[in-house]
Amino acid sequence: MTHPTSKQLSDFLDRELAPAEQAELEAHLAGCGECAALMGELRRVIARAEALEERPPRADLWPGVAAAIGAIPPAPRRIAFSIPQLLAAGIALVVITGVMVRWLSRERRSVVAEIAQPAVPPVLPAGARIAAHGYADAIRELEAELAQGRGRLDTATVRVLEDNLALVDRAIQEAQRALAADPGNAYVSGHLARTRLRKLGLLRQATALTHVSS
Amino acid sequence: MVTTSPGLHPLRATDTALADADAVDATLAASGDAHAFERLYRRHVGRVHTLVSRMLGEDADDVTQEVMIRGWQKLPTFRGESAFGTWLYRVAVNVVLNRRAQVGRVRRFLVRQPEEPLERPGREAPVGAGIDFETALKGLSPGARRVFVLHDVEGYRHEEIAGMLGIAAGTSKSQLHYARMALRRHLE
Repeated sequence: MTHPTSKQLSDFLDRELAPAEQAELEAHLAGCGECAALMGELRRVIARAEALEERPPRADLWPGVAAAIGAIPPAPRRIAFSIPQLLAAGIALVVITGVMVRWLSRERRSVVAEIAQPAVPPVLPAGARIAAHGYADAIRELEAELAQGRGRLDTATVRVLEDNLALVDRAIQEAQRALAADPGNAYVSGHLARTRLRKLGLLRQATALTHVSS
Repeated sequence: MVTTSPGLHPLRATDTALADADAVDATLAASGDAHAFERLYRRHVGRVHTLVSRMLGEDADDVTQEVMIRGWQKLPTFRGESAFGTWLYRVAVNVVLNRRAQVGRVRRFLVRQPEEPLERPGREAPVGAGIDFETALKGLSPGARRVFVLHDVEGYRHEEIAGMLGIAAGTSKSQLHYARMALRRHLE
């Protein structure tokens, strides 16, 4: 037999040849070192292919798949509290803070009445002013802290927080516009103060989460 | 106990247990149970990613994700006639081929660049060329690489490959031969 082609050797390995041709080539290989060597290399290629290791994706692709198919990604294990627990804590915080602010507002109003300064009406009524006292600094600090720690939160939690913060910001802007149009409206000023406190509470809640998750 | 499944290497008893779990989860997932589909995802994503990356010759997280989404969408067509894994890998092959076709159309439209020629190594090619096997695999022509991955790595038969890729079985054999001859130069 003349030397088989490399294609015949490859087909021989896969038992794709007719039985007679298969036997003939097998006999040739027994006596031909050159073809046997090539056959050995082809066998090693196949063995190498079968031994290739699995290559998993670099990142977990499930969140993207879950979002695309409308499933909710599983809750990350690193958060020790459930969302209802956190919401309950947040509501309690807002209620307690609201009660304190209202009490402080009454105290402030009585002090203002005692020292009798009626000449210039305040731009913001007392409740809003008290709530605004140090407010901007506190918000800035908390926002900076949250920005540093937000990488430790999972994307679903970040999304919920961002949605809530956006809602509160919108409510604050609306209250500010209403108050600018009607500066003496006690209801609006109280609403503004409560809404600002709600934002403060949300930011505290979020920064606390970053510590829990670290 | 050893059983066989078309297009896959022989299954062991543990594989059979996994196939049973797959069948249950596939039924649940087809009825809309996303948790069941997540279990299927966890069991198969590694192999799907491996198959897709090797067929494309590049890392392919985005294509793997697309395969999984397509798998979810096509679950109602899964009849359980083959193992879920086999079915899902066929979905993966189709996604890869569709993507390849899209890329080819865009490339032809933009630069009128011809398809990469099939590598035809000679019998006299030297053994050992200093790059690893995975890298050498990427250097094959797309057609030869796809056939080699499906046949020698994944264990599909030429008739199955021909059906999946839309080529003749003889073409599949030729591509495999060229791939093996090219890759033997890169054995360590």
